[in-house]
Amino acid sequence: MTLTTVPPRAVREDAPRRVRASVRPWLYLSPVLVAIGVWIYAPALFTVALSVLDWNLTTPPTGFVGADNFARLFRSADFWQALAQTALYALALLPFSTVIPLGLAIMLWQRPGRASTVYRSLLFLPVMMAPVAVAVSWKFMLNPLVGLANEVVGWFGVPPVNWLGDPSTALVVIVAVTAAKVTAFNMLLFSAALSGLDRRTIEAARLEGATSWEITRFIVAPQLAGTTALLGTLSLVLAGQWVFTNVTVLTQGGPDGVTDNIYYRIYTLGFEFFETGTASAAAVVVLLVFAVAGIAWRLVRRSHVPR
Amino acid sequence: MSRVRHPLRRLAPVAWHSTLVVVVIAMVFPVVWALLTSFKPANDIYSIAPFSAEPTLDNYARVLADWPVVTLLGNTFVMAAGVAVGQIVIAVLGAYALVHFSPRSRGPILVLVTISLAIPPQALIIPQFLMTARLGWLNTDAGLIVPQLGTCALAVLLLVQHVEALPRSLTSAARLDGATPFEVLWHIVLPGLRPAIAAVAILVFITTWNEYLWPLLVSPRAEDTTVQIGLTQFQTAEGNDYGGLLAAATLTSIPIIVVYLFASRRITDAFLQSGIK
Amino acid sequence: MNRSTRPLVATAAAVSILALSACAASAPDTSATGASTTITFSSYSYGTQGAAGDGMQVLLDAFAEAHPDITVVPEAVPVADALTKTKAAVAAGSPPDVQQLGYSKMAEAFATLPVQSIEEIAGDEWDAHVDGIAPGLVSTGEADGTVKALPFTVSIPTLFYNADIFREAGLDPEEPPATIDEVEDAADAIVAAGHNGVYFGLLDQGKSDYLTQSVIDSAGGMTVDDDGEVVLDSAKAVAGIQRIQDLTTGGLQPAVGIDDAVAAFSTGDLGMFVATTALMSNLQTGAADTFELRTGGFPSFDAKPARPTHSGAGLVVLAADEAKQDAAWEFVKFMTSEQGYTMITEEMGYLPLRANLATDDEFLAGYFAENTLLLPPLGQLGDVTPYRSFAGAKSNQATVMLQDDAISPIILRGADARQTMSEVADRIRELVGSE
Repeated sequence: MTLTTVPPRAVREDAPRRVRASVRPWLYLSPVLVAIGVWIYAPALFTVALSVLDWNLTTPPTGFVGADNFARLFRSADFWQALAQTALYALALLPFSTVIPLGLAIMLWQRPGRASTVYRSLLFLPVMMAPVAVAVSWKFMLNPLVGLANEVVGWFGVPPVNWLGDPSTALVVIVAVTAAKVTAFNMLLFSAALSGLDRRTIEAARLEGATSWEITRFIVAPQLAGTTALLGTLSLVLAGQWVFTNVTVLTQGGPDGVTDNIYYRIYTLGFEFFETGTASAAAVVVLLVFAVAGIAWRLVRRSHVPR
Repeated sequence: MSRVRHPLRRLAPVAWHSTLVVVVIAMVFPVVWALLTSFKPANDIYSIAPFSAEPTLDNYARVLADWPVVTLLGNTFVMAAGVAVGQIVIAVLGAYALVHFSPRSRGPILVLVTISLAIPPQALIIPQFLMTARLGWLNTDAGLIVPQLGTCALAVLLLVQHVEALPRSLTSAARLDGATPFEVLWHIVLPGLRPAIAAVAILVFITTWNEYLWPLLVSPRAEDTTVQIGLTQFQTAEGNDYGGLLAAATLTSIPIIVVYLFASRRITDAFLQSGIK
Repeated sequence: MNRSTRPLVATAAAVSILALSACAASAPDTSATGASTTITFSSYSYGTQGAAGDGMQVLLDAFAEAHPDITVVPEAVPVADALTKTKAAVAAGSPPDVQQLGYSKMAEAFATLPVQSIEEIAGDEWDAHVDGIAPGLVSTGEADGTVKALPFTVSIPTLFYNADIFREAGLDPEEPPATIDEVEDAADAIVAAGHNGVYFGLLDQGKSDYLTQSVIDSAGGMTVDDDGEVVLDSAKAVAGIQRIQDLTTGGLQPAVGIDDAVAAFSTGDLGMFVATTALMSNLQTGAADTFELRTGGFPSFDAKPARPTHSGAGLVVLAADEAKQDAAWEFVKFMTSEQGYTMITEEMGYLPLRANLATDDEFLAGYFAENTLLLPPLGQLGDVTPYRSFAGAKSNQATVMLQDDAISPIILRGADARQTMSEVADRIRELVGSE
């Protein structure tokens, strides 16, 4: 549905008005385009350039090395492990950014009032304390020798677990620790979406005797489909970044690299080791993967959904 | 098809409350633990007892005396608020244009915006830093704020969603009445966007507040630095002062709580108007 | 223009004015007027909460008083990010003039950053000044035949132990174990008494390999030999690491990270803890009113003398401008003088790096009379082995590889010591050989 941008006055009148009308969208869009153009895409181009150079930025560049950085990257087992685990993180966090926060938001929305406000604020609390502090708090609790977690599981007869030090549990723990923050953020967004719902339809349905459950399922949920899809997609793309602080503080990618993901790998390579060539190559790979996935997605949608 | 006689007609108050209480406890526990630990003396900091035999305010006293709380809070607030406001403005203008002007380039622009999210920021940070240095913006507010406006993609996508969800009847009526696009934005679209803007503002504010790598590079001077960098002062080569860290983190949560309560009013107010009674 | 575009234009104008004013806002601190020189000092001790942060301020104040013509602008940096920050600063064209740089990062800094030769800058003053500083420490800062780093805040590994647990286990707190065998026996007794036995802190949080080297050196091996060859997979080196692994597999050492071990030690659940003296003050605070903390020297292996190496940081100079270099030398000279080292020990708790200080009444004799915990490691300071780095620009990366991919799986998860060390040694050879 398109809206005409020219008011229904004398259309023939001024060329300036028409020019202004065609320029107007660009005026409104220029902040976005400038912001991402200058601060994301320009550095990204630089990164792409770095990926084919042998230059660590502090000493003069030694020249074009073609695909050497990529070759080195693909040869390292760390890279593939990080890539695979990035996908694992994405899948593991998906319920915490869609279904669970959606359910919570709806529950809170069903009974607006004092209790609901209190619950909502409490649920948002994990987000309000510095991530470093929350991670440290978890570190205390998960201490295998003197921490609270093993004390508690001890009450149930379970032997002490090396939560963050055991390769078979570390990833799960990182996901669990990050889940609270992800749930809280997404719950906030679902709440905002819910508050934008048209209540007349809902009241009409109510008057016709529909139960809360029916209203939720047939009227509310479909209207939230867009937000849910968006947040789900964001979760798949950003999950690796959401766990970043916790990985940094709690496991540093270990043990044996099981909590590593591609973003942490890029950070380690590019920031800690200043191996800018390899880090840039990894970034280019990530970008390509998402670009390909995005294009494939659009093609699939276009072929199934009539315009 | 339609379940008229559903046995569980409405989620009974008891079930509602108990579910929420359980979830709250699960999510809030680490924060509570951090708070409790901040009252423990240094020689008791690791104990698993929730309350120390000799609870103390020493950690807080030390933080208030030795740690530049006010400077850090001030700097971080300016940065977070600057980025939040900046991104909201950018996103509102952009989302409105994308939905209501529907330019032909809407699709490609959305693609550009979405892809900007997928580029690993850890790879971009050094080039961004070099650009900022070249602009002479190191150790300035501009250097802290402006480059972080580049991550506005999230705000844009969320607001596009919400602008699309607004009923078109109001806007088309206003246009037929001769309102200019800006007036439509200001008087009709913006009020409807209030809860969405509030949510996005909170999100961006908190995400920026928690940002570590960027202020580390751009604001190394003690008088310019931010809370997250300041918190690293408790983790030293000579061991970690966890009591101080947790006390400092608690103190610096307060502004965020205030911002949240202020902004979330917008959301709950809208709730109260639109929810099921 | 009509009403609706006016607000837009106004906003645009406001934003551009803001942007322009921000551009003009902070001009960089230029200096080197005739009267005063300004140098920047990047330090990971500066601004931290605790003795080191306070001590650094005392040092800076003392320097300012002694040298009113030199202004030092300190820059705090978290210890993990110190090298990275400086690299970024170099890339942007504005490195700090002086930096406190960890030894595990030094080789990489020498290879990739414009580090100046302090020896050359000092000129005539060099020999007189350096005389008296522990020679092993000075030679660690050598590169390309000249000294580029002077030792600043240095610590060595020591054996911390809980005297109360010792008594409980029937051990004599006056006679701490001095060899690895004695450590094992003591740990046995402690485990029998219901506590965790011992923890060797090889897995340093900063991914430094100083304690790994201490173990390997004491066992008769080396990580890197005098020609720069990687030899950490030699039989003796592997045997040393194997010994530590045996402690874990034997149930005498918990398979945890070092932070968890600190927590366990501070709550009185760990009998012995081998780690850097830098942690002294932190452990003392944790032990206060809980248990009696004591120290012993780093244990020896197989009837060979113990050969711990050191950790900590040195001072490097990056300034290119001659006036700043001279000012930087004054600063470094002060910090590494008798007065400087005395203050470092008294205020920050690091070791005094000139042999005469500990016994001289004017300096630290009184201090050590009171703070006896530092005496055992102090006794080993004179024989400290120089810290060795892998060669070249990837040296830090190689160290992290050693710690993460070899030491961690071996000590904590029972990986085969010989095979793992061999594999990682090959990977490190490939990494550092690729220069």
